[in-house]
Amino acid sequence: MSAAPSPALPLARNLRGPRFLALALALALTLAALVAPALPVTRTGAEILMVVDITGSMNVRDYTQDGRPASRLDTAKAALRRLVADLPCGSRVALALFTERRPFLLFAPIEVCADFAPLDGALAALDWRMAWEGDSRIAAGLHRAVAMAADLGTDLVFVTDGQETPPLPGGEPPPFDGRPGAVRGLVVGAGGYALSPIPRYDELGREKGFYGEADVTQENRFGPPPADAESREGFNPRNAPFGSVAARGTEHLSSVREPYLKRLAAEAGLAYAHLDGPGGLDAPVLGAVAPRALRGSLDPRPILGALALALVLATLCAGLPRSLIPSARPR
Amino acid sequence: MTALFASHGVATPWVLWLLPLALVPLVASGRRRNALPAIAAAPADPLSRRIGLALTLSGIAALGGLVVGLAGPYRAGERITRIGIGAQVSMLIDRSGSMNETFAGKQPSGAEESKAAASRRLLAGFVGEREHDLFAVTAFSTAPMLVMPMTDRHDAVRAAIAAIDRPGLDYTNVARGLAMALAQFGADRGVSRVLLFISDGAAVIDPRVQNQLRADFAKIRPNLYWLFLRTKGSPSIHDRPEGEDTPQAAPERHLDLFFRSLGIPYRAFEAEGPQAVADAIAQIEALERDPIPYTEIRPRHDLTGWAYGVAALGLLLLALAALAEADLSARRTARGVAAAEPRRRAA
Repeated sequence: MSAAPSPALPLARNLRGPRFLALALALALTLAALVAPALPVTRTGAEILMVVDITGSMNVRDYTQDGRPASRLDTAKAALRRLVADLPCGSRVALALFTERRPFLLFAPIEVCADFAPLDGALAALDWRMAWEGDSRIAAGLHRAVAMAADLGTDLVFVTDGQETPPLPGGEPPPFDGRPGAVRGLVVGAGGYALSPIPRYDELGREKGFYGEADVTQENRFGPPPADAESREGFNPRNAPFGSVAARGTEHLSSVREPYLKRLAAEAGLAYAHLDGPGGLDAPVLGAVAPRALRGSLDPRPILGALALALVLATLCAGLPRSLIPSARPR
Repeated sequence: MTALFASHGVATPWVLWLLPLALVPLVASGRRRNALPAIAAAPADPLSRRIGLALTLSGIAALGGLVVGLAGPYRAGERITRIGIGAQVSMLIDRSGSMNETFAGKQPSGAEESKAAASRRLLAGFVGEREHDLFAVTAFSTAPMLVMPMTDRHDAVRAAIAAIDRPGLDYTNVARGLAMALAQFGADRGVSRVLLFISDGAAVIDPRVQNQLRADFAKIRPNLYWLFLRTKGSPSIHDRPEGEDTPQAAPERHLDLFFRSLGIPYRAFEAEGPQAVADAIAQIEALERDPIPYTEIRPRHDLTGWAYGVAALGLLLLALAALAEADLSARRTARGVAAAEPRRRAA
């Protein structure tokens, strides 16, 4: 191969030879991989305002986590933390609490990767004790949350069990006066479908049993009485327009009010999903929110390297089958 | 060796299963095959043998380098603890409804700035002024709300401060807010701790809670700064009420007395306008000049380039060899039957 006193190598023919061309191409690809910059591409992310209901009914333990009962709030927190961890980098999330009748913004949108630790910490720290009032006027809160999301320029994820406290007068929520669909988003219904007791706490935050039927407002007696009031026992148009008997009901128990939440969501042009557990919120949220273009980058090196690898292997192995079979060896 | 594996890694480990492909050059040279009547006819040639070995090694280097490069090798990032100037700052911010009024106690109109908007503007400048400060943000009205746990991510803290001029809530319940703000300090010792309390009013602290707070303050020993955003005409911290001097009659004065009795470094700033707030924040900044250990994260270092470099070197040698190949059969046929098509045994 080398010691032959040959005058010249067949350079011109070698240059045109497929093996040299393949190896040279592989070399060029590898060198390109060494210097190629990351390519700018557009990826999709999300910008979300998360509003979490922290009212008393969210303390109902009708989920299980690791075989133990878990409250709706804990399950919602776990689901949101997982969602934040799964969002593509560059997505931004703002967090607000809901109780009484309006959302309370904790922080404006922050990026989910660089600022993951404080975001995750803030989600983990959500607690019913942060509630500044005991009321839970879901419809009013949802309408204001939609306005807040519009103001922040984000989409909305509103986690609630849909239990209005006190009950709505006549069962009718206030009308939505925004433009339906102007803000995209998702109402997440938290809670089981069966009625469960609501834990009750003393002023120091220690649990002291459950709410009984007489502990909560069973019927909203503000405003005009319902149409059937005349047939009630002890009805008197002036002195007892709602009848004379204390209202009975199941407002001291709680389940996810799915038809009501679906109706509220539809009125505001939002989607609805049920919170099935700590997982599974990613797909409905990403399906409901508007995809936002994010600047991302694509590393071209794996593609170049893989092509080079294939070329080298092909060059080396082109003669392999013949060389392995003795009879096919060249004479 | 284990240290090497601990500090180095690959992004996609499964690609390393392709690594045995690097042994292919041992069985397939990929060079042109020349037909020889007898292998013994060729004289023993150490140089040729060495060149053959070098080309096999080049093939191994090329394939191995490409496979390793595809797997994305890196040297893992590190956390290095350094000492800088800074402090752990726990901010406790009043979000009661009155914070949305101006310093004159009116609804802001035109160019007027509410107390919340002024604190938002000035605090946003305070955060990030010094690189190594850590911040936690707690808001309170009737109940305390943990907005952001202690973090060095100043962007996130500014996002939390950006939310403080939104409509506030009900009342001012100082005691629980103080307890939560104190709970934000970590366990590390020897760090300057600052509790920055921003409010436009005060409230009576229940005597039972007072003892608990006293114990917490004694344990954590933060430097306490109270930025009292005083509305014009409302009582000052130092005003004695005309009638009975009870906490109910003058909550601001008695909160100040409570803070003084804690035995920790404490200063109160009474600000009656945005400029006074700015001055107070500048003073606090000047006072807090203590060393703080901070972690610097050295990012992971990409080693893919090295792997591709090795592969490129091997490929260069292989390509040169392919270029410099002699074709004995071709030469023989060229000498013999010139018109005959050269019999190539290209591999």
